[in-house]
Amino acid sequence: MALLQIAEPGQSPQPHQRRLAVGIDLGTTNSLVAAVRSGISEPLADAEGEVILPSAVRYHADRVEVGESAKGAASSDPFNTIVSVKRLMGRGLADVKQLGDQLPYRFVGGESQMPSIETVQGAKSPVEVSAEILKVLRQRAELTLGGELVGAVITVPAYFDEAQRQATKDAARVAGLNVLRLLNEPTAAAVAYGLDQQAEGVVAIYDLGGGTFDISILRLTSGVFEVMATGGDSALGGDDFDHAIASWIIEQAGLSVDIDPSAQRSLLEVACAAKEALTSNDVVEVVYQQWRGELSRAQFEALIEPMVARSLKACRRAVRDSGIELEEVGAVVMVGGSTRVPRVRQAVAEMFARQPLTDIDPDQVVAIGAAIQADTLAGNKRGDGEELLLLDVIPLSLGLETMGGLMEKVIPRNTTIPVARAQDFTTYKDGQTAMMVHVLQGERELISDCRSLARFELRGIPPMVAGAAKIRVTFQVDADGLLSVAARELGSGVEASIQVKPSYGLTDDQVAKMLQDSFSNAGDDKQARVLREQQVDAQRLLEAVEAALDADGERLLDRDERLAIDAQVELLRELINGSDGLALEQQTKRLTQVTDAFAARRLDSTVKAALAGRSLNEIEE
Amino acid sequence: MGTPCHFALFDLQPSFRLDLDQLAVRYRELARAVHPDRFADADAREQRVALEKSASLNEAYQTLKNAPQRARYLLALSGPELPLEVTVHDPDFLMQQIQLREELEELQDADDIEGVLQFKRQLKVASDELNESFAVCWDDPARRDEAERLMRRMQFLDKLSHEVRQLEERLDD
Repeated sequence: MALLQIAEPGQSPQPHQRRLAVGIDLGTTNSLVAAVRSGISEPLADAEGEVILPSAVRYHADRVEVGESAKGAASSDPFNTIVSVKRLMGRGLADVKQLGDQLPYRFVGGESQMPSIETVQGAKSPVEVSAEILKVLRQRAELTLGGELVGAVITVPAYFDEAQRQATKDAARVAGLNVLRLLNEPTAAAVAYGLDQQAEGVVAIYDLGGGTFDISILRLTSGVFEVMATGGDSALGGDDFDHAIASWIIEQAGLSVDIDPSAQRSLLEVACAAKEALTSNDVVEVVYQQWRGELSRAQFEALIEPMVARSLKACRRAVRDSGIELEEVGAVVMVGGSTRVPRVRQAVAEMFARQPLTDIDPDQVVAIGAAIQADTLAGNKRGDGEELLLLDVIPLSLGLETMGGLMEKVIPRNTTIPVARAQDFTTYKDGQTAMMVHVLQGERELISDCRSLARFELRGIPPMVAGAAKIRVTFQVDADGLLSVAARELGSGVEASIQVKPSYGLTDDQVAKMLQDSFSNAGDDKQARVLREQQVDAQRLLEAVEAALDADGERLLDRDERLAIDAQVELLRELINGSDGLALEQQTKRLTQVTDAFAARRLDSTVKAALAGRSLNEIEE
Repeated sequence: MGTPCHFALFDLQPSFRLDLDQLAVRYRELARAVHPDRFADADAREQRVALEKSASLNEAYQTLKNAPQRARYLLALSGPELPLEVTVHDPDFLMQQIQLREELEELQDADDIEGVLQFKRQLKVASDELNESFAVCWDDPARRDEAERLMRRMQFLDKLSHEVRQLEERLDD
């Protein structure tokens, strides 16, 4: 496909056939799916006309219920009804315990893996629960758009760490979605806002959702969205406002803190309703069981002040990290349902000394932006000519454990991705033949204050005196913000590498099994599906190669090279409508290999053209 | 294919004086051409190539837009590889360093946010002056040793401004 995309950026092989792709905002409280239709990005509604799907999943013995009706059962069936599952994504048992008595669930699983929740259908991991939400959104999209999806862009909080991102990607895979990209929520919002307002300059996105807080500072320049810095708190959101009110009620009513899960759920529902009512009222009456009281807006604001202050502190840090002064921020955009709280808006307005923008529905803006990115990634050309480009950053520093339990940063936070960086180390003992590589994420100096991402061992280093071996450790972060690490002893060439999979994440086998289960449940014929996918891949490759040959074949290939490619094209054409999936797959690979050098040459020539300041279409002519 | 020099990647001649706005424009053009987003649908091999090209473009841009890093890169291009940390024989500057650090410590003890702002402004002026001296020095090949010394000074001020940022963070608590 790349061959094609170089020829004409973003244009699909058949101009009238749009490739279906969606943006999904998988939120703590609510989730949405959006798509670009007739050039406009908009959320897709269900049969009842609702665009918002509450992120609630209720397990029955024989079926799964997702959305509004499941949410309604949170207090009557607390153990089997899972809400705010996003807060558990990629978290170990220790993190979950820290959320502590906020959660009514019965957890199973040891220290070393992601804890599962015990339900009437057995143990369910947060990944599986999230996948249920995604499946509903996928079905909604396929029904509304009338076809299978090429893929989806799933949004994640910018401040999500490696484990949380990986878990989200796994959930999408289990739901049968092809993930085109994990996109940071504030960046998605910036896209929706920026394209809508044709904004240029520095923009701050303040995104306070149900369970997470993000702040991102971006520079917008003619279709390029460059994240300068991002920050936040992946455990701060509207849920915490509810908990603050709930604690206040318990205190006022003189109740015991130790209440049963069902009562806890209904207490939180009362708290949430009070919070929402205070958006437009100065005082609300709060009724919980036998107790009756009044909560004023001023009291509520005092309760949440520490959390608001925490968010503002993260804002100041992001501004400092982006190397600009506060006054240079030209616009502030509010994202996330919790920015409806008047005190939040007021505090942000005071800090940035300007009125924050709320033009686009704060609940929908992330999904709308994600859909625009999905549409671009799927290869559909935008109407207004300017190609969209998002340049994002890593939210947290990545590094290695060094002597004395210290973390040595290899890639500092707010570095633009993709990025690859190497650091050299040496052995510290005579004759040392192995080295432990411990990969960490975080800002603190002591490794105990950072998150451990992975450990692996480089073995087979030839015995040398201490300090003689030269071990190069390379970190690579891809455009999804996911990390892989490789270590290599330069003298002997001994290598070891790892795709970082946090220890409490899921293994590939586990994901594959969940995927298989979901297929068999859905009654899909897996083999037929696989063959169809292979045919689609082969067809795309053929179209791409042909378009590339038409455009640059004469300019960049000699006669022999051209003949070799033509021969492989012919072979693939013969196989494409057959039923031999294996042969088709192999031939697709062969054609890819034989066009390898051609693709690289075209990429180089594109770079040269970009330097010469000409548009890509010009060099085609 | 080897790794092209950072300057060549941007079609620039190696030089310390650089129009940063123009560099940013070029960066965005090149990023459009090689960013993995343009290959979201491609096979693994093409995605890998795009990932690598994008990563080296980002690396080059980071190096060139930061004055101390650019200076260091220039010196490394035209001479032997430079160790990251060396003992600098630069007594005058050493005195100044000690003074600046003491000043910063006093600001921390006094919780003096206004003083930190003032300090930042001073630091900015000093960096600008140093950059200018390096630029002049770099134009004269005979003054390479001096250029290296100036680069070390630039690195120090860069580190110091990083520490100021950390101090600001602590004072914000």
